[in-house]
Order: sequence, then C-alpha cells, then structure tokens
Amino acid sequence: MAVKTIKTPAVIIGGGVAGLAAAIDLSRRGLSSLVVERGPRLGGRVADFCCKATDSCVRCGACRLADLVRRVAARPEIAIYTSAKPVAAEADGDGWRLTLEPQRNNGPAPVVELAGGPLPRRSQVQAGAVILAVGATPFDPSAKSRFGYRRVPGVVSALELEGALEHSLAELAGGRDPRRVAFIQCVGSRDESLGHLYCSRVCCGFALRMARVIQARRPGTEITFFHMDVQTYGRAWAGELAEMREQMNFVRAMPGEVTAGPGGPQVVYAAGGRSQTAEFDLVVLSQGMRPPVGAAALSQLFACTRTSDGFLGSDAEPVASGAAGVFIAGSARGPMSIVESIEHGAVAAAAAAGHLQPLVREAAHA
Amino acid sequence: MPEVSLIWIEEAGLEGLDPAKAAKKAGVALSDGGLVEAAVVTTTEARAPRSLVNRLKGYPVKWLDLAAEVGGGPLALRQARAAAAVARAAGSAALGTMAQRYTRQPNQEVLVAGRGLAAVAAAHQAAALGHPVLLALETTRARAACADEKPAEVKRALAGLPAQVEVVTGTELVELLGAGGDFQARLQGPRRTSRRRFGAVVLAPPSAYAVPGDMPATAEDITLPVSRLKPKQYQGGEQWLQAAVIAPLGPGATAHGFARAVTAALALQKRPRVQVTLFLGEAKVASEGGERLYRDARRQGVLAMRVEPGGLRVSRDGRKLSFDDPVLGEPVDLRPDLVVLSEEVTGRAPAWLDNPLVTTAWDQDLPDHPRLQAGRTARSGLYLIGGARGAAPGDPRRAQAAAAAADLHGLLSGEAVAVPAVRDVLCASCLTCVRVCPHGVVCYAEDHIAPAPAACLACGVCTAECPAEAIAPPGWSNREMIASLAAGLKAAAGDKLVLFACRNSGMDAARALSLAGHQWPKGLLMVPVNCAGRVGVQLILRALSLGAGGVLVAGCHQGNCRSLNGNLRAKLRSGEAADLLAQVGGRPEQVRFMHLASNQPRALAQAVAELAQTAGEK
Amino acid sequence: MLLNDCDPGFKHQVAAEPGGQGIKACFACAACTARCPVAGHVEGYDPRRLIRLVLLGRREEVLASPLIWLCSTCYSCQEVCPQQVSFTEVLTAIKNIAARAGYGPPATEAVIDQLAAHGRLLEVGEFENQRRTDLGLPEVAEAPAHFQKVLGVEPAGGKS
Ligand SMILES: Cc1cc2nc3c(=O)[nH]c(=O)nc-3n(C[C@H](O)[C@H](O)[C@H](O)COP(=O)(O)OP(=O)(O)OC[C@H]3O[C@@H](n4cnc5c(N)ncnc54)[C@H](O)[C@@H]3O)c2cc1C
Ligand code: SF4
Ligand code: SF4
Ligand code: SF4
Ligand code: SF4
Repeated sequence: MAVKTIKTPAVIIGGGVAGLAAAIDLSRRGLSSLVVERGPRLGGRVADFCCKATDSCVRCGACRLADLVRRVAARPEIAIYTSAKPVAAEADGDGWRLTLEPQRNNGPAPVVELAGGPLPRRSQVQAGAVILAVGATPFDPSAKSRFGYRRVPGVVSALELEGALEHSLAELAGGRDPRRVAFIQCVGSRDESLGHLYCSRVCCGFALRMARVIQARRPGTEITFFHMDVQTYGRAWAGELAEMREQMNFVRAMPGEVTAGPGGPQVVYAAGGRSQTAEFDLVVLSQGMRPPVGAAALSQLFACTRTSDGFLGSDAEPVASGAAGVFIAGSARGPMSIVESIEHGAVAAAAAAGHLQPLVREAAHA
Repeated sequence: MPEVSLIWIEEAGLEGLDPAKAAKKAGVALSDGGLVEAAVVTTTEARAPRSLVNRLKGYPVKWLDLAAEVGGGPLALRQARAAAAVARAAGSAALGTMAQRYTRQPNQEVLVAGRGLAAVAAAHQAAALGHPVLLALETTRARAACADEKPAEVKRALAGLPAQVEVVTGTELVELLGAGGDFQARLQGPRRTSRRRFGAVVLAPPSAYAVPGDMPATAEDITLPVSRLKPKQYQGGEQWLQAAVIAPLGPGATAHGFARAVTAALALQKRPRVQVTLFLGEAKVASEGGERLYRDARRQGVLAMRVEPGGLRVSRDGRKLSFDDPVLGEPVDLRPDLVVLSEEVTGRAPAWLDNPLVTTAWDQDLPDHPRLQAGRTARSGLYLIGGARGAAPGDPRRAQAAAAAADLHGLLSGEAVAVPAVRDVLCASCLTCVRVCPHGVVCYAEDHIAPAPAACLACGVCTAECPAEAIAPPGWSNREMIASLAAGLKAAAGDKLVLFACRNSGMDAARALSLAGHQWPKGLLMVPVNCAGRVGVQLILRALSLGAGGVLVAGCHQGNCRSLNGNLRAKLRSGEAADLLAQVGGRPEQVRFMHLASNQPRALAQAVAELAQTAGEK
Repeated sequence: MLLNDCDPGFKHQVAAEPGGQGIKACFACAACTARCPVAGHVEGYDPRRLIRLVLLGRREEVLASPLIWLCSTCYSCQEVCPQQVSFTEVLTAIKNIAARAGYGPPATEAVIDQLAAHGRLLEVGEFENQRRTDLGLPEVAEAPAHFQKVLGVEPAGGKS
C-alpha cells in the first residue's frame, strides 16, 4: 500500500491548549497546519478540568479551551488528526519529514466535533516547521510512598479530586462524608531528592480553588492546607487569599507521612517543634508536573535539547529547541498555567512563522 | 419575504432524522443547495463544504448548529426538536437580512505607542503580519528602553526592525477615539501635534522598578534599592558585614520581584565575610529557575527568614530590625550594616485611558480577566502590554507583544463579527449604546452614531439596551429575534420553554450534552446569543407571550463574561422581567437566570429540568 | 537575641565537616521533625530547630547542647528531606566538632576517661586476675597507652 504524504507548512504535535493556540495563530498568519494528537480528543489535560467558579469566576482558565476549539473549528486552514503520533522524523532540506502511526485508543470514541478525525493509516508528513506541544506529565504521587497514595484509603491525587468534584466526593473518601479535608502541597515538586528543582506553579492555585468549591458546596467543611509557600499570582488573588486564610487552616509544614487511622487517613506533621497527628476524611496530594514522559524519545527524534529541569527546549530561549525548524510550545517546555500555555503557543507560532517566511517566499517565486 | 430553503448536511448527532419531515413541520422547502432565496443550513459555516459556502455567498443564510440543539432520546422527540430549531432559524432568515460584513474596510495600519522592548517587539510582530506600523517612541531613539530594561537589548531590537515600521521619537499619544478598524489618534511630537487614523493601537507605557510601599523604613544611609546595589563594594573585615535583603513581603509579591531579591542576596553573600539575611513573606519561586536560584542562595549561606505580614519591625533610629524567627519561635534582632530593598515592576496605563468619555469600561484590574489575555483591553482593537500589564522584562514582554500582534491581526482580518447597523431615523441620540457597548465600538461623531468597522463582537448589549430599537449587529435586531422566537415556538411541540444560551458558555455546554445523547424536554427551544447581555426584558416577555411556559437565560460566570458585564446585565434584566411578571399576576419563577461555564453541562441539564418542572406546575 | 552576636562562619564549618555538606540547603519545611521518633519523646529535640541554630550561627548553644547526642540514627529525617540535607550525617559532623571543642556528653566523657585509664571499659584489678587464675585463664594486663594515643587524652585518674 502506498504511504500517503501530506504536505503542510507546519505540523503541531499535541492537541492541548498550547498546540491549538499555536495552530490558530499560524492560521491568523495565513499558514496552514496539521495538528497531530495522540489521544482520541483535543484539549489535552484541560479537557478534564471542570469550572471552579463559586460566587464568581476564579480565573482558572479551563473554559478557554472551549474558546480555542470554537476558533479552530472556524478555521479551515487547520487540519487535525487524532489518535496519531510521530514514530519517525528526519530533517529534510529546510523542513522535516515525519512518519505518523495510528494509535489505538481504548474506551468509548469521543464525540467528534471538528474537521478531521482519527488517522486512518500510517502516513508521511512533509512540513516546513514542527511545533512540539506534547504537554507535561503529572507527577505520580505513589513515587512519594510516605504519603500513602494507593496504600492508605482516603488519600487521593489532586487530579482525582478534580475528576470527582462535579460528582461525589464521598466515593473518593471511601464512602465517608468528607467533612475534614487536607491538602498536601508540593508533592513531587521543589524536591531535590527527586531531581525536581522547580515549582510546578499551578498546584497552589489549583488546590485552593478546589478547596473553595468544596467549602461552597458543603459549608462547614474543614480544610487544612499543608504547604511551604503559597504561589498565586494576579492582583485578584491578594484579596481572595486573605479571605481563605480566615476560612481555612493554613499549616506551614510539610507532613512526614500519611498513615491509615481508624476514622480516616492520618497526617503526621510537625507543629511547635514536635510531631503531631491529625485525622481527616480525605487527604489530597497536590501533585506537580514533570517533564513529558516521551521527552527522551522526542528529543532524540527531533534532535532537540532539554532544559536543566528535563523539559523540552533550552533554558536560554523560550521556544527554541536547538534544532532548526523545531519549536516547543506550552507545558512541554516547563510548568505553566493554561493562560501561559496559550500565550506560549502564540510565541511558538510567531517563531515558526519567522522560520517559514523565507521558505514561503521561495515557493512563491518558484 | 423570500422563501426559505432548508439545506441539510448529514453529521454526527443528526442520525435517523428525516430532513423532509423537519422541513415540512417548519414550513420551509427542502433544497439541495441549488437556487435559493434564503436558506437555513443545518451546520456551521466552518463545518459546511467549501463549495456550499461559496455558492451561498450573498444570500440571507442562517447557519444552524442543529446537532447541538437536538440531543438524544426517542426519534419522534428528536424529530420534533429538529423541526422547531429549523423553524426558529427560518423565522429570521425569512426577513431577508443578510450578514453585512465590512461595509467599511478596516484601516490596516497599526500604532504602537510607548517605549521599551514590548513596544519594539509588538511593532516588529505586527509588521511581520503585513501591517504598516507607526512606532511612536516617547523618548529619543537611543534611550528607548524602559527604566527596568537593559538598554542594549532594546537597542538591538530597534536596529532589527523591518522597513515597514516607521519610527518617530519624542512623540506621545495624547488622545484616542474610536475602536478596532478605525482609531483616531492625536500624537504630540517634539514640534507639532498631528492626527492620524489607525486600525489597531498597542500601548506599551513606560515601566520601572519601584520599592513596594509596605517596606520597613530603615535609616537612609544604610538602605538602598536592589537596582542601585553594587555587590562588589561590600566586604566584611574582622567583623562580618551584616546585610539584610528584603524581598517583597505583601500579598502582591511576585515571583519576579522575589527572584531579583534572591539574586541580590546571592551576589552579596558571595563577598568575603558578608552575611546576608533574606527576609521574605512567601518564597515566590513560581518562575523559571526560581527554585534553583533560591536553593543556590541558601547553599551559599544566605539565611532565609520568613516573616509574617507586619512582622518585620524597625527601631526608632532605623538601625535595628526586630522579628520572630518562625522556626525557633523566638524574638530576634539584627543590626544591619546594609539594607537592600527589593523592587517590583510598576507601570501605569496613561491617565487619559481612565477617562470614561474617551474609552468605555477601562479598569486597571482587568489584566486578570480570563478572556482579556494577549494584552487585550475591554476596548476592542486597543492593547496594553509590557510592564504596565505586569509583564517582567525580557521574554515575558516579547511573548505578550507577539500574542497581542497576532490578536490584532485576527481582528483586522475578519475575526470581529460585524458592523452594527444603526437606523438613524429611529436613533434618539441618547448615547445609550455609546455608554453600554463593552468593547468601545460605538462612537458619536459628526452628529450620528458611528460604530468602528472591525471591533464589534456582536454581543448585542447595545440592542438590548437601546430604547429606540435603533442599533443592532446584523442578524440580532429585535425584529429578527422576535420573528425567530415566534416561528420556533409555533413549531415547538409539547410544553414550550426557551433557553437563551450564551455562545461562550451555555451553548458549549448544551452542545456537549446534546452530542452525548442528553434528552432535552420536547418543547425546549434553544436560542444561541453571542452574549447573554443581548437578552433584555423585551425578549423574555415576548418569549412568554408567544407561549413559553418558562425562560432560562444562561450566561457566563461573574468576571468571565467576554463582554465584561453582559452577564450581569442579563441577570438584572431577567430579574426585572420576573418582577414584571409577578406584577401582572404571573409566576416569577418562570424566568430564571444562571451563571454557567462551557465545562458545566450537568449544571445546565439540571437547570433546564427544574425549569421544565416549574413550567409544568402551572 | 542579636543576630550580630552569632557566628556566621559556623554553618560553613559544619558544611565543611564530612557529612555536613547538606546543611545549608534546608528550607525549614519540617518534614524531618514530623518523622523523627526522638522528637516525639524528648522535649526540645527537633532536627529542624537544631539546623536553624546552626544556620543562625549559635555555635556554643549547639555544641554544648545535650540534645545533639540524642539522635537514634534511624535515618527517618534523611529519608523524608526534600532538600537532601541528610540530617543524620549533619549531626555526626556537628558531634565531631563538638567533641573536638571539648563538648562531649557527660556519659561519653566518662567512657573516654575509663578507656584512657584502663584501656577497656571494665577495670581489671588483682581481684579479677585472681579469679582468672582460679579458672585456669591467663592474667590480663591493662594497656591503656594505645587508647590514650587514639583518644589523644591523658589518663584522668593517673593510675598507671
Ligand atoms: C495537577 C495539575 C493541575 C493543574 N491545574 C491548573 C490550573 O488550575 N490552572 C491552570 O491554568 N493550569 C493548571 N494546570 C496546568 C495545565 O494543565 C497546563 O497548563 C495545560 O494543560 C498545558 O497545555 P499543553 O497544551 O501544554 O499540554 P497538555 O494539556 O498536556 O496537552 C498535550 C497534548 O499532547 C498530546 N501528546 C503528548 N505526546 C504526544 C505525541 N507523542 N504525539 C501526539 N500527541 C501527543 C497529549 O495527548 C495532549 O493532548 C494543571 C496541571 C496539572 C498537572
Ligand atoms: S475561568 Fe475557570 S472558573 Fe472562570 S468560568 Fe472559566 S472554567 Fe469557570
Ligand atoms: S505551585 Fe505551590 S504546590 Fe505547586 S510546587 Fe509550587 S509551591 Fe508547591
Ligand atoms: S453588539 Fe456589542 S460589541 Fe457590537 S456595538 Fe453592540 S454592544 Fe458593542
Ligand atoms: S526535611 Fe530537610 S529541608 Fe525540611 S526542615 Fe528537615 S532538613 Fe530542612
């Protein structure tokens, strides 16, 4: 069977918010692109995030995804293949030649709402520029075994809490009505022992927003927030944080361990210079981000560099990759929020367009 | 009135539906897209085949996202819902209004005014996108950098500007009227003032480092800000030199400010026999390399000291700092030989921006608005970037400039939806539209209402609020909306309900539900609007008088409305409609408003179910 | 307490001692204290606090403190520390410095005296050698000189 070759100015690997933002900005610049998404649906991590507004919007940015999807849908220059990933790549003149392989995705087929669809067969892509927007990988809290993840009932990851927020928290808490909820911050971040010498930047805000939602839905729920430092930015947080300090128990200490107690998980932490134990119904581990699982393979495939934290790209430049014609967008480059990822996608698109400009001009002359 | 044809495009969500039956029920003719006078197409313009889009150019067409409205359930129910939706769209298509796009061509020229890297980068990016650019620098060319930037970096960027950028120096923007596609700017040059028109305007006001106001007041002779620190000048002798570096302590502390303080502390600590105590509120390490830097400083020997708000006190003579060590819980004093105060980036939007007569709805706090990113301001086509927008020097400013340039290019090349039509004969010149338009689109010039050509987002707030029915973006006038409500409700089967759903939230949620097979009440008519603010009292009361048993308006959450406060207007107007209903003996519960986000489909399903129950109670 | 009276060089000294390298990285998260079994039993024993005292440069207070000798070397603190401070090793470094500075704990001082005086922890005198002879064992002579050399001390009681 003949292998089909698709020609496109730019190919974007990863259909999360950064990849979609890059595609939109390329199309605004008059450049077509092909988005290649490994999973069955667009949106990446953000597609699983629910709205955390209580009285008013808390600026989590999750609903920006719907804006992006709507705009992608309105732009015929953007082609999309889901269930596809690059398996081979070689520099080819001024551009890149990629081989895409269909991916089998288990579970129900998603609701297809955009032009394009699953990649039907192995295909070749010839592109002038490549944007890697493969995202970061959430840290797996079981690697910090002392926090009891998957060992102690009632200990969950922040992403699991997110998934249950719109449904039932009792299920997460092993059937108990969660009236006492603890968050443990920096799980897998700011941790030299793991080689993760960075702050993941989003988990403080993520946890505090979820804590607010829980308190708004079940007034009187006691929230304890174990942390070292609170990272929130934006003017609006200043006032909100002061309010939260009144409503929640902020404990500046990293717990030593989480064990199973008779009435729920117990957090062992230090206060006043000694070890204390407090019992909760639910303990939430605020996992951070780590470099994309496929970072090593991708950096080999595209001959691109890694930052000192192990993400794709280089410390010195925001979107450059060390390889000509290859650019990095979004959280694949390092921890960033949704809004930052979207802006970063725009920067990658600008850089890719700059790279493509002479090529486009040449083609016009030929 | 033109005859309306139904053009049916098969797609996911419409399985099993009979186009002919739907057309018949809705009272329109089924067509294959051949000769038409006016048409309803069952898919969106983006999803429709290109050939069809081209063929229908110039005709009154209503693109209907039918799959989003039908939902799941038994075939008969879906068929009835499809017919009502088609009838609703046909109702306004039959009036023959065409989407009049760009009756005035938007001006493509871009003005970038201000100084610094953000300004130069924005000019560069806009030029790369094909726009002629005027870069009006407030300063002389050689000193184009902001006070918080490296002059060499800005100079390099200036030298690399492409030829389409015209650079003028010593020039300030002193007045700005208009909006996207047609701005009228007054520029004050070194010798004279000039007026010029632009399609988009990017402001990059000067920024500088400033010591936050809540810093302890230590003696002047031992105190200096980070930017004036020259670490090489310091070293201890037999006695250690004790330095205190104070990072931003207040709730507004940023990661950039923290990183600057830590950098200073590290440099000082490297000096012989210097001991640095770094005071901080929270270690704001959420910046690239921030955690690494903080670790390096501690490893070098910097003593990190957390103090609670207000916990760092100064003696009367300004030479002793007192605080509680958070670990020991004991009071500690320090007599520093040197106090270094951290700084934060500050910058202000130009004062004239705050003038409500010049620009509507500008607010300093808008930078946090989730839909006003990429330097966007409430006023469509006007961007504010750089330090005044909180961007740290260097890459963050370049990034913001690139995003703003792409955004304005999108606007000037057709992302703005339409130009609102003004019927001068009806206009009472009350200036309501000028006042309420959240995007600053509508101006009053030369004795009439003059909307800008590439700025309107068709939110419809002006239409809902105008007392004279004189202004509406094409397709969204009262006449069209009432016609479509009437046709849709007439065709609807069973207990009739109306859902006005904002396209930025409610319609996305409805679409997700429909495509997942959610079964809507049979008589529910969905009416998509670009902003809930389009739904005024009149439309709600009309829906009821046309037979709806209940009306639900779904708008975005407070603080998330793309049109700033369209959602709150909708809430207010829904409340007024409910009050009116109560006054004439109706049940106010028949009119409801809800805040919603696109990713909250369950909340919408529940609210619709509750509305159906209320309406059914009678 | 006045910070100016403290010794900023102390932390560098601890860090230069084998095992002490990690001390300055501590960011006071308190995970170690939470896990330390001794902290749970002995009032005032708190790894994080001891580190803090070193970082502040409260030299004498640390070296003279009886607390530094109470670590059970269970390595729990080291296990949980996100900054790889390795407090157990740090404490060894501190103990070495303390010992050199003459701040041995009383019990250890007594042991040292005993070893220096007798070359073993149990004194062997006439009575013990008589018993040995009765049992057919050879006599034992005290040979403290070797220990005196290793410990670098003079015998306390001066019995030779
Ligand atoms: C626990 C947690 C909480 C968070 N909370 C918040 C928050 O509250 N607010 C906020 O602003 N941000 C939050 N974030 C950050 C947010 O998730 C990211 O900013 C955002 O998802 C980044 O988008 P992206 O496009 O870079 O990556 P992703 O969303 O990860 O998307 C990457 C996409 O690439 C695809 N992909 C990966 N590899 C390949 C391949 N080889 N081939 C093809 N496709 C591939 C993936 O399937 C995925 O769809 C959180 C992150 C985490 C982990
Ligand atoms: S930004 Fe977040 S909180 Fe605000 S409306 Fe969107 S999803 Fe909800
Ligand atoms: S954002 Fe907060 S929880 Fe996440 S790594 Fe940073 S400090 Fe820790
Ligand atoms: S529709 Fe909205 S954006 Fe357009 S002119 Fe009216 S109020 Fe302004
Ligand atoms: S666990 Fe490590 S970083 Fe935390 S307080 Fe103890 S020694 Fe310091």
